[in-house]
Formats: sequence, structure tokens, C-alpha cells
Amino acid sequence: MWKFIVRRLLITFPQIVFLSVLVFIMAQLMPGDALTGLIDPTITQEALEIQRERLGLNNPWYIQYADWVTGLVQGDLGQSYRFKTDVTAVISERLNNTVLLSVVALVFTYLIAIPLGLISGRYNDSPLDSAITGYTYLGFATPIFIFALVILWIFGYQLGWFPTSGSVAPGMQPGTMEYYLSKLNHSLLPGISIALISVVGTVQYLRSEIVDTKQKDFIITARAKGASENRVYNRHIFRNSVLPIAAFFGWEITSLITGTVFVERIFGYPGMGLLFLESIGQRDFSVVTALTLLFGIASILGALLSDIILGMVDPRIRIK
Amino acid sequence: MEANTAKIAEQKSPSSLNILLRELVRDKLALVSLIFLILITAFVFGISLFLNQAEIVTVDLFAINEPPSDQFILGTDYGGRDVFGQLIIGTRNSLAIGFLVTVISGVFGIAFGVVSGYFGGHIDNFMMRIIDFFMVLPFLMIIIVFVTMTPSYDIFTFAVIMAAFNWMGIARLIRSKALQEKELDYAQASKTLGSSNFSIIFKQVLPNITSLIIVTMTLNLAQNIGIESGLSFLGFGFPEDTPSLGTLLAYATNPQTLEFRWWIWVPAAVLILLLMLSVRNVGEALRRAADARQRRG
Amino acid sequence: MAFLDVKDLQVYFPIKGGILNRTVDHIRAVDGVSFELEQGKTYGLVGESGSGKSTTGRAIIGLEDVTSGQVLFNGKDVTDKKAKTKDFRKDVQMIFQDPYSSLNPRKRVLDIVAEPLRNYEKLSKLEERKRVQELLDIVNVSSDSIFKYPHEFSGGQRQRIGIARAIALKPKLIIADEPVSALDVSVQAQVLNFLQEIQKELNLTYLFISHDLGVVKHMCDNISIMYKGRYVEQGSTKDIFENPQHIYTKRLIAAIPDIDPKNRERQFKFRQEIAKEYRESYDRYFDGNGLAFGLQSISSTHKVALPEKG
Repeated sequence: MWKFIVRRLLITFPQIVFLSVLVFIMAQLMPGDALTGLIDPTITQEALEIQRERLGLNNPWYIQYADWVTGLVQGDLGQSYRFKTDVTAVISERLNNTVLLSVVALVFTYLIAIPLGLISGRYNDSPLDSAITGYTYLGFATPIFIFALVILWIFGYQLGWFPTSGSVAPGMQPGTMEYYLSKLNHSLLPGISIALISVVGTVQYLRSEIVDTKQKDFIITARAKGASENRVYNRHIFRNSVLPIAAFFGWEITSLITGTVFVERIFGYPGMGLLFLESIGQRDFSVVTALTLLFGIASILGALLSDIILGMVDPRIRIK
Repeated sequence: MEANTAKIAEQKSPSSLNILLRELVRDKLALVSLIFLILITAFVFGISLFLNQAEIVTVDLFAINEPPSDQFILGTDYGGRDVFGQLIIGTRNSLAIGFLVTVISGVFGIAFGVVSGYFGGHIDNFMMRIIDFFMVLPFLMIIIVFVTMTPSYDIFTFAVIMAAFNWMGIARLIRSKALQEKELDYAQASKTLGSSNFSIIFKQVLPNITSLIIVTMTLNLAQNIGIESGLSFLGFGFPEDTPSLGTLLAYATNPQTLEFRWWIWVPAAVLILLLMLSVRNVGEALRRAADARQRRG
Repeated sequence: MAFLDVKDLQVYFPIKGGILNRTVDHIRAVDGVSFELEQGKTYGLVGESGSGKSTTGRAIIGLEDVTSGQVLFNGKDVTDKKAKTKDFRKDVQMIFQDPYSSLNPRKRVLDIVAEPLRNYEKLSKLEERKRVQELLDIVNVSSDSIFKYPHEFSGGQRQRIGIARAIALKPKLIIADEPVSALDVSVQAQVLNFLQEIQKELNLTYLFISHDLGVVKHMCDNISIMYKGRYVEQGSTKDIFENPQHIYTKRLIAAIPDIDPKNRERQFKFRQEIAKEYRESYDRYFDGNGLAFGLQSISSTHKVALPEKG
């Protein structure tokens, strides 16, 4: 097991380095540099040159890269041109919202996917299963933004059950109970939108896994011993099929990030995804760079986490 | 003797494509999907020949947000532009870009995968690490960044950018298949017969994985249409004067449009859904056909 | 100078392990094998599965990397993969064991048999077709089937198509890797006789790899018995069958089925005796790792793996 983890970590490190190089190259390609966000327009050319020299902007690229990485490690992500403040501050404000949205989405994903998958697998080929399979069939082909638009249209506008934009009702006092409830309320509809699409893979996986396990010898033995049908499902099949699902959430992070970008745009929800879209529209490139890097690191760590959890749950993975 | 051989030449064995198509026709849902796809493709490409794109995307302030009428079958958008015309051109553009991206990423992915799998060993190891790196990239953000930064931006560069972050899936699939194929005696035999690696890869191994390639490319087409409309929806897809299905949907981010002017976005949403479902149906049917063939040996 | 001279051939496969996936050990598939081949003769390589006999053949033709040792063909060193020039590839051909996987299922017979021709000779379409038809005539496959696909043929026919492909370039040496073991017994004799016929006609040399001593006896002039990558015994067919020295050889020969039912009882007893002898004298014939010893000459043609005297 330790060998597996160490080997997996050895892959992770170069992945992060590769990502950082790619993002650095992207940042170099973008117009403007660290100074663009700071200076007032009346400054003279010589003064500008002195500043550039002082900040190391005339150094060769590898030194700039080293400086940049050193800054990153110390939590310095640069200056936002739009907000005239540290990128770190800009992002951390939005980070909470996105984390909340992601957690809501994940919770609903599992809350919906596990029962649907279990029912579909246990009563396979029943009308109920057909309905669930039909849903996954549709969900697999539906792009998340269409789905989210329809959800917003129906539950936000037509039925009016949920707020249609923002992350909190205006005029709420931070720290109060109402404030947190309002935040949660605002994250429900976007979160469920993501969840309803991301359940599809898990439901399909669970269903085929259970249908498979049903035919296995140990289940037939359990039945032959006289175990009740419920006991067979709860004790034997559930354990075998559901555990690996716990590992999926790490891989979900990549699709979750994609999901939040769309959903935050549609619901006008001020998270990191919307910040990314706004920043790129406003040419606030230091924020764009930082966000890309953060999203990338989140995906890499998510995949790492999933692999390790799955390696613990399922020894067969480790052999490879 | 000569006449005899000429006669035999005509009764060729069915190619893998023929077998796949035959199975497809047996699958009713897939057949309907295929006919729908053919019709819609013919329709949008045919009609768009007669549509004046410049006229359609020209803003007409005297006909803003009009509901469907005799003049505008599907009404107009906030710039007074004909939604129906945009729908036709948008579908055409979405199909074309989806196809282009699928071909570019497919060709690159297949070449990458088949080389990695065929040579194996250190080369394979190294190439698979490259794929691992690409797989974990937040590709949506990176595509968006590249799309915004590319100076001379047109449909082709857009397709290349999308393909650049989209070839890994097919490469992986082809690689694992090539890994199996090259161990088979026929590939080994080719080596002893003096064939070069290049000719073994492309003349011997590749024809044996065509059904896998056809299936994967079809499923990728559905996925790519989805990604393209998603990017256009966010405003980072096609250049501004080129409508896509995603562009029409993007109008729905305006609450007024979403709530009161269904004619602008619902047809586009339905069309994307139908397109993706039908391409998938065809792809899944092909996959089943390819599997059944393998079972029969 | 021998036609094919293999000196102390070793083929090792690495076993990977550890955190960095380094090579931790080797599988010694072929561990010090030497033999010489005369032109026009057939040399048999016999052993059970995993004895390294196929690997030996594949290493000679270049499908496996040689770890150490030397392979000389017509006096030229062809050990290294790079040394296996186009000419060498043309002169040395291979017949594969499985006639179902050795022919590309997506190719017509014409393309299959013409593949070597296309690599070496620039022929027009018509000439090429004529040559393929001639080759198919030689192997007794109806020559108007050139547009058919492999799956339309029986196993024996496929194997003969494989042979047609192997002799297309008029090679000098053919490595036949269990050429009949995947075929029905009724077809085996047919293919074997046919191999002997074309040997005379085309002055071919065979390296004949098989696990079937009966087949080898029928085909070969000289035989080597392999076990776990090493030689156990080496000699002329007469030496091996009439005067087997090593206990492993004896046991293999005892295991050849006898079709006369009257001998069944006697055969059974004979096998029991050999098996007993095998168990009792195992230590005299194999070292502490269960491997064969080095070869000792017992006559000018006959060598046996025995511990060194003294």
C-alpha cells in the first residue's frame, strides 16, 4: 500500500510542475504584466523601466518562473487590475461560495445517485428501473447548461420556489442565522442542477455493478443459506458496490469545476467560476492565471485522492 | 483464367463498415436517429445556401424581440435578428465544428495511441505520462484562455484549440487496443516478412481496429457538439458574427429572455438535445454491433 | 563454416518491481544455448511449454532481443537487431504456430501472400498476382481463392497460406514454430509431408520447434531437448531415440503414445519404471535449482547435460 501511495505521489509532483509551467506560459502570453494593475497612467517611461527592473520583469524567463513559483508558495498570486488589490483577497472572497456550492452539489449527488442506483440494480428490468435508465440516458446526453437553464426556468421563474440569482439575499447581516440560511437557500438550486447531471455516471456504475454482483457465487450462497432478500442486499451487495463510489468524488472534482463555471454563470452566483468568466472578459489576467492554476491543482489533488482511496478499497488497483 | 479472377474480384467480403451499417439498420432507434441526422444535416446545409448570413446577423432595431409571426417563423432576438435563420446557420456551424474537432482530435489521438501501444516499453511509458498530464488539466479554463488570446481567431483555430485538449480519450483507447494487436502473430509475422514498423502500424494493425475507431469517433462527435455549444454559450466559442446553437442559448442568460421569450432559446436547446441524443444513439448501436462481431469471432 | 551458428545464446526477460519500477530480477528464458545448422537439413528443438524453444527461434529471427551470445548466419554476425539487415530478413522466414492469428483477418489472401513481395520486389499488379497464384499452387491452395479472406479457410489451408507467404521470397532458412500443433491430427501429416517436399525442391533449411517428439522424429536430422532454458541433450535423431542418456529425454520418449493396443500393458509398465527412475535419480541429472548441467560430449554427435566428472 505504501509503495502504491509513494508511486502515485511521484506522478503527482511532475503533474503539478507541468501545470505550473503551462499556466506560466499562458501568463506570459497574456498582455500586460504585474505592473499593469498598479501604476497610475501619468508615470514616465523611465520610472516605469526602473520599476520593471526592480520587480525582475526584465530577467530571463526561468528566473521569472522561479520568482513566480516562490511567490505562489508564499501565497502571493499577484495583483488584480480590476479590483486593485491582492488576487488572494479577491479569490478567497469567492472561494467560500464555490466550496459551498460544490459541497451542496456533492451531497445531493450521493443522496440522489445511491438510492437510484440501488433501486435500478436491485429491480433491474422493472418499470422503475426503465424510468431510471431512461433518465440516465437523457442525462448523459444533456449538456449541463441546458439542464441548468431549464431548472432555473421551471423552479426559479415559473414556480418561484428558489431565488434566481446571487449567493445571499441583499441586506442580510453576515454572521446571523438568517444570513447562513439565505446562503444555503441560494446554493440549493444551482447545486441540485449540477447534482442531477453528475448522478448519471454513478447511477449507471452502481446499477451494472449490482446486476453483476447478483449473479456471483457468494450471493447465491448467501441466498441458499436462507438470508432474507433485504439482508442479502444490505450486507453483501451494498458493501461491495457502494464502497468504490466513495472514491469517485475526487475524480468528480474536474467535472464539478466545469459544472460550477456554467451554473454560476446561469444563476449569477458569485463564485470562482463566475469570477473567472468576469476576469477574462475584463482582461484581468492575473486573476485568470491564478484561478486556472487553482482549478488545475484541485483536479490533480482530487485524482490523487481518488486513486489512493480506491487503492485502499480495491487491492486490485494497486497491482498496476 | 483472366476472366475468372476478374469475376472473383467483385464478390469482396464485407468490410467492417458494411457490417456496422447492417447492424445499425436493424436497430430501430438508431436507424431513426441516423435518418434524423442525415435529414437535419442536409436541411441546414441546403437551406443555409439560400440564407444571407450577413442579413441575418444584421441588427434591426425596428423588430426587437418579436414573437413568432409569418415574417419571422421563430421571432427575433434582442437585436431584431431572425431566430430561425440563426438556428439554421447555428446548427450548420455546430455540426461543422463538431465534425472538424472530432476529425482533428481523432487523427492525432489515433496516431498517438497506436504509436504508443505499438512500440510499448519506454516510449509507451513516456507517452502515457503525457496523456496523464493532459487528463488532469482544467481543460475548459485553458481552452477559454487560449480562445481569448489567439490573435487571428477563426473557426479553424477554434477547432484546433478544442482538439488540442480533447484527444486523450481516444488515444488511450486506441493505445490499449494496439497493445493487444501487436502481440498477435499476424503483426509479428509482418516483421519477419520485412515490413517496416510504419507499414505494420498503418497497413496491418490499423485496419483491425477500424470498428473501434468508428464507434469512438461517433461518440466523440456528440461530446464535441456539446462542448462547442457550451463554449459558445459562455461566449468563448465562435467569433461574434458566426452564430452557433450555443450563442442562441446564451441569450437566455438574460432573465427577461429566459422567462418571457422562449422562442429565442427553447428551439436551440431542443435541437442540441436531439442532435446529441441521435449521434449517441448511432454511436451506441455501432458499439453494440462491434461487440457482437467480436463475440462471433 | 556452419550455415547457422548459434553460440551461447541467452535471452532474459526483466521482472519489474519496486517503487521506481526498476528491474529487480530476470526470467532466464534461454540460458546458454548453442547449435550449428547445415544447409538443407532439419534441426529439431524440443521441449515442454516454457522451455525456451520458441524464444530461441524468435530471438534468431529478431522478434526478441538477444541478451548475450552470438548468432552467425552464413558467417555474418546477426545477433544485434540492427545487424538483421533486409537481406537477412529475406533469407530467414518463419512459420507460426497459430494459423488463426498469424494471418491478418482484414486482408485478402492476395495481400497476405504478396506482403513480402511488396517489401522486396517491385512487381506490377499483374506480375504480383501471377506470383501469388504460383505460390498458392505450390502449397495446394486453389489459386482462384486469392480474393477470399482468411476466415473462409480451414486451419490446414490457412497454415499452407502461411507457408506460401514464408516461401515467397525463396528463403534459405525457415524457422517453423510448432507449425502443426494447432492443426487436427489428420491434417498434421499432410502439412508435414508437404514441408518435406518443398524442402527438397527449394533446398530449404528448417529450424523445427515442437513439443511433439513423434513429429520431430519424422522430420529432423538433429535434435536438441530443452528444459527451463537449457539444453538437456543434443544429438542426431538416431542418438536421441535409440540411445537417450538423460533421464528427462528418456521420460519424454516413454511418453510417446503407441497406437497398438496390444502393447498398452507393456507401455504402461515401461512408463512407470521410467517415472520411478526419474524420481530416484533426479539429483544426478539436475542441479540444486532444478536446472540442467552443462553439456558433455559422449560421442562425436551426441552431447548430454551431466555434472562434470570428478
